[in-house]
Amino acid sequence: MNLDLQFYGERAVLIQGVNEKLQYQLICQLQVSAPKGFIEYVVGYSNMLFVFERRKDGAQLSKWLVDLPAIDEGQSRQSRLTEVPVCYDGEDLGVVAELSQLSKEEVVSIHCAAEYRVRMMGFSPGFPYLDGLDPCLHLDRRASPRDYIAPGAVAIGGAHAGIYSVASPGGWHLLGRTELPLFQPQLAKGQDLDQASAFTLAPGDRVKFVAISE
Amino acid sequence: MMNPVIEVISVGVGLSIQDHGRPGWMRFGVPIGGAMDGHALRVANRLLGNPDGAPALEIVLAGAKLKVLEDTWLAVAGADLGCGLLPWRATRVKAGTVLGFSGGPAGIFSYVAVAGGVLSEQWFGSASADGRNGLGMSLKPGSVVGSVSKSANFSTEGVAGRIALPADRRVYASQVFLDVWRGPQFNLFSAQAQEALVDAAWSVSARSDRTGFRLEGPVLDVPISIPSEPVLPGSFQIPGNGQPIATMVDGPTVGGYAKIAVLPDGERARLAQCAPGTQLSFKWIN
Repeated sequence: MNLDLQFYGERAVLIQGVNEKLQYQLICQLQVSAPKGFIEYVVGYSNMLFVFERRKDGAQLSKWLVDLPAIDEGQSRQSRLTEVPVCYDGEDLGVVAELSQLSKEEVVSIHCAAEYRVRMMGFSPGFPYLDGLDPCLHLDRRASPRDYIAPGAVAIGGAHAGIYSVASPGGWHLLGRTELPLFQPQLAKGQDLDQASAFTLAPGDRVKFVAISE
Repeated sequence: MMNPVIEVISVGVGLSIQDHGRPGWMRFGVPIGGAMDGHALRVANRLLGNPDGAPALEIVLAGAKLKVLEDTWLAVAGADLGCGLLPWRATRVKAGTVLGFSGGPAGIFSYVAVAGGVLSEQWFGSASADGRNGLGMSLKPGSVVGSVSKSANFSTEGVAGRIALPADRRVYASQVFLDVWRGPQFNLFSAQAQEALVDAAWSVSARSDRTGFRLEGPVLDVPISIPSEPVLPGSFQIPGNGQPIATMVDGPTVGGYAKIAVLPDGERARLAQCAPGTQLSFKWIN
């Protein structure tokens, strides 16, 4: 496969022009056989970063990509569906309703109606960038970001929905909050545990929001 | 079995356990973390025969005070923060000695390694403290720091004069020159920005921490924001105000600011030791 590759820093390579299908293809192939010296990958919205042990390993990535097997189009993706209970009492619910010319109730029902997919994770541990937000809720981020957003805040920003997973600054609009923990650092402790269980979600997962009263 | 070596009397500006960091979890948003100055950590560990990335104490600027609980070997590397032990060497220390970090003329981070390495539980395979994300154990007055074993892989023979090689020792200056690579969005930047980054003198802002060092200088033209994508430590992100943020080891794993440049790992470790006000100049390398 002919892809645009670009060294990023000392020993990482960005693969440009990675859509969701190719991303899935690359991740599947990594599970079968990773390129030499491969350490980890990071998913971007339209690219993917491969980090290697040495620069010269990164220079060999194009060879690995040549042999990338095609994905059977008919094969349906297995992915978990996680329901996220949300109490819609967010500070910005009124502003969002106003900006999108909807009632608060309509904002909530539109936000709950969609099925989302975890496109990528970051900037902080367990924060999901969710695709699938209804276009009538696509709003610019807040002009001045908040210094502190509590974990569990359910938010929207640009074309994405998201959930703040740890206390952090942030510029997204807050619609509500969930008690579902997205990141449990204590589960990352020790040597032999399945440390991925520290995260409730993983890229590719499906998510639905369910309104609760309290 | 833990072998108690040091008791924390005070933590000062900053005192934490740091090691090689936790690569492998960036796709979930977990920063690599670890020592801000990986070079100094490595040197301190080598002076004691520890693995390069073994956990050690990272001391920030001033105020930390540590009491040594047993006769032992300690190695100090990085900034000379006036603790009574010379940096870049291993020193035999008597039980009861108090190391008070009063601060130094240059540099920010000092590393104290103990023979065998500091014992700590691990989160994602690393003992490094990342308080913002709830990873690592926090040190408080009264905390006892232990070593992994009683000098298991450390022989004191011929060590009395163990000093780091001259090439490994660093002097921290008020004017620093650093090499940078072009960043992933270099071509999105105007010629003004591309030239100003290497032509101008930059200064390290006081608003700098383990997530990022802010640089002050001429305002760079800001290109349009990009779809969120991976961010590596050492990257110069250019936010709306046109002033670079050099992402450091605890920084965000993805972001939507264009990145004009990225520091090699070794250069990032040197930047980490640049106190606020340090004058920086950059040079493009291929």
